[in-house]
Amino acid sequence: MTTPLLQIRDLTMRFGGLTAVDKLSFNVERGVIHGLIGPNGAGKTTTFNAISGFYKPTSGDIILRDESIAGLQMHEVAHRGLVRTFQHSTLFAEMTVMENVLVGTHMEFPPSIWNALSRQDAHDRSGAEAKAMEALDFFGLTGFVDTLAGELPHGHQRALGMAVALACRPDIMLLDEPFTGMNPEETKRMMTLMQKLREAGLTLLLVEHDMHAIMGLCDNITCMSFGKLLAEGSPQEIRNHPDVIEAYLGGARHVA
Amino acid sequence: MRKSIIWLVCVAALAALPHLLSFSQQEILVVLVINILLVVSYRLMTLTGEWSLGHVVIMGVGAYTSALLTKNLGMYVPVSMILGSLMAAFVAFLLSFPLFRMKGFYFLIGSFASAEIIRLLWKRFRDPFGGPKGLKLIDGLPDINIGPIHIDFFEPTHYYYFAVIVVAACLWILWRIERSLLGLTFHAVHWQDKLAQASGVDVRRFRTLAFVLASGFAGVSGALLTHYIGTINPNTFDVELMVFVLTWAIVGGTATFYGPILGCVALTVLNEIVLREMGFEQARPLIYGVVMIASILFLPNGLESLVKRGVAAWQGRTGGAGAKEKTP
Amino acid sequence: MLELLVQTGLNALYSASYISLVAVGLVLIFGVMGIVNFAHGELFMVGAYVVVALYSQNEVPFVLTVAIGLIFVGCIGLLMERTMFRPLRDNPLGGLVASIGFLMILQALASMTFGVRMAFVPPVTQDVIEFTDKIRLPVQRLYVIIAAFGFLTALWLFLTRTRFGWALRASAQDPEAASLQGISITQTARIAMFIGAGLAGVAGALTAPLISVNPHMGHSVIIAAFIVVIVGGVGSLEGAVVASAAYAIVHTFVTTFYDGVLADITGLLLMLIVLIIKPTGLFGTADRA
Repeated sequence: MTTPLLQIRDLTMRFGGLTAVDKLSFNVERGVIHGLIGPNGAGKTTTFNAISGFYKPTSGDIILRDESIAGLQMHEVAHRGLVRTFQHSTLFAEMTVMENVLVGTHMEFPPSIWNALSRQDAHDRSGAEAKAMEALDFFGLTGFVDTLAGELPHGHQRALGMAVALACRPDIMLLDEPFTGMNPEETKRMMTLMQKLREAGLTLLLVEHDMHAIMGLCDNITCMSFGKLLAEGSPQEIRNHPDVIEAYLGGARHVA
Repeated sequence: MRKSIIWLVCVAALAALPHLLSFSQQEILVVLVINILLVVSYRLMTLTGEWSLGHVVIMGVGAYTSALLTKNLGMYVPVSMILGSLMAAFVAFLLSFPLFRMKGFYFLIGSFASAEIIRLLWKRFRDPFGGPKGLKLIDGLPDINIGPIHIDFFEPTHYYYFAVIVVAACLWILWRIERSLLGLTFHAVHWQDKLAQASGVDVRRFRTLAFVLASGFAGVSGALLTHYIGTINPNTFDVELMVFVLTWAIVGGTATFYGPILGCVALTVLNEIVLREMGFEQARPLIYGVVMIASILFLPNGLESLVKRGVAAWQGRTGGAGAKEKTP
Repeated sequence: MLELLVQTGLNALYSASYISLVAVGLVLIFGVMGIVNFAHGELFMVGAYVVVALYSQNEVPFVLTVAIGLIFVGCIGLLMERTMFRPLRDNPLGGLVASIGFLMILQALASMTFGVRMAFVPPVTQDVIEFTDKIRLPVQRLYVIIAAFGFLTALWLFLTRTRFGWALRASAQDPEAASLQGISITQTARIAMFIGAGLAGVAGALTAPLISVNPHMGHSVIIAAFIVVIVGGVGSLEGAVVASAAYAIVHTFVTTFYDGVLADITGLLLMLIVLIIKPTGLFGTADRA
């Protein structure tokens, strides 16, 4: 048995008196699509932010391969092969689609003053553009190279966000509610793309509120409630897990 | 081919320019060239999204350093200028530690406070900074005599050529940086620092880099100024000049490389040539203020947006494709 | 030594009085409109020149000139709101730059009308209260202290006891919520601008006989006010008053025992340290800009 790609151990996040995540532990295996689900306010997004370096965990550990990444900043985490996307369409709206993805190639072609002033820049740029085109091609965005990102249709903006992440050549990609606001057809297309990413060897961890949306997609699912681990297993196991049903129904009752 | 002809014409125009002007206008021209470097370097800093109110004092660091090195150590002027620029960059590097804990309005005020402290230190310490009276009799560039060629840098025209060459070299470097992947990273940090960071960009490092680079070039402009005017004091680098730099950048627009240059040239011509010739000496700050407010209200994207519109209209008329306007 | 301390304390009380009037206005404008008014020091200057024009040159009674200063500068505030800050409501940087432009206009107008040299303002009273040989308080300074106390109390009453005051405080928290109460954003902005500018004008008018009146006098006042606003916490009126006292004490003592430039440096360092450890100020809660 190989070690998991990502291990979350006793992760705790406290804000003032509020404990958003409480001693959460789970593993993400290599080459799978792993879903992190739970009712609203379960602490999914907080967990996600702690893993990606957006927050510093109060306690606990996050281990990528065999190295602790807890408390590292986002760019340091990215350099170790874990890249995240953001909810909604967080993009460089004022830059072109190509320029957006070029930012994603930052780690592979690190810019410096010396490169900028020498011939190295032209060399780097053509290399970076080739890599960027690969990522754009994957998401079917090659027709929009010179369009401003802010002017893209909504569905394409979501894809562009993932293209930027893909251009970072991560081992594991964290997707924050990737299906929110998508119509069924867009959702279906996005799922196909995710499966393609998995086939290409990537590991995906996605946070989703709507558990039904990702049942057919995920290999493993971790379900959270009130900051704690509720259940984990295959989609079938989760679907029939009494605690999960209770949590979602309870949540629904609560809302109603 | 056509490009090189345009360049040749530009060089010829720059070379001929001082000979078309009066002596006092030549002196203004030298300062204008130096100010262009100042405002373009300021724009580099704004590329990452932070607006500083300390840029002019950083320029002063370059000026004071270069002046003191020549005065006290008898250093060769071009060398002292380079060291002055490095000192300005170094001071900016030190300031970046406290300042980049702040953002937006707080950064603005923080940069103002730290700059004002530096300026007050010049005022407080007579030794070595000369106190409120500043430094006088600063060496100029040494004369150059090669056979029949005799260059005396006290002559504004000669210093103008020197300044143009130095500033052009600096602008070329700044232009290359802007167009490179480095410049792209600066833009990325400005527009969406979280996404940039998630893509592996060390945001803090690139903010600092832009600040240090911009300050280094501000230092060059300070050194160029000090060896030209020969006397500097804390008030040479006061808030008023900072306000002018801000105005040039805003009136010109900061979305393009040429925007701030446009603003600087247009306002200097308005200020020095038109208003001075017309005898509105006292009303100059008034008109500056009015222009500033008017441009913020009615031309929020600066003079550069007029140029863009003009180019688009011209391309449209001549049937050229790609007349698409890119909003900044 | 004790006498020197008490005397310096009295001097500090006087500085704190007029600085807090300026700073409170700055906070009010920033809180309600989200705009950093760089021209605030020049509003103080205009207030002083109202005294020069009416009291020194035309012998209008001093109390009346102070009242006129309040209204005149308050109206300048309304003018600024209408011409610059209202159209630039969604552009805080633009508002800031426009206020710098306005600063230059006011300075130029002052030097064109009154000249760049220091203007003479005869003292209102020469009386001095002598507590002991070395502890003396000129009555003119006492007026400033009393007036500042009065105006700050009135402002506090206005903000806590009236509907408009309540709307002002609400819109500093959340402009939308305030407009739900039937008081429009424009209305609150107008009130904030009038009061903020008016207080700066009053401060300038009151201190005109005591300090050197010139077109550039706003510079040091605005720096002091910025320090106070940052240390007191952006958006906190109480903080601004407390910080005014703290700043005045530090500044007056360093000036008395060392020198003025060092006092300025100390004040700025104080602000920088506050910015470094807590970018929203010591008392502040507001998080804007």
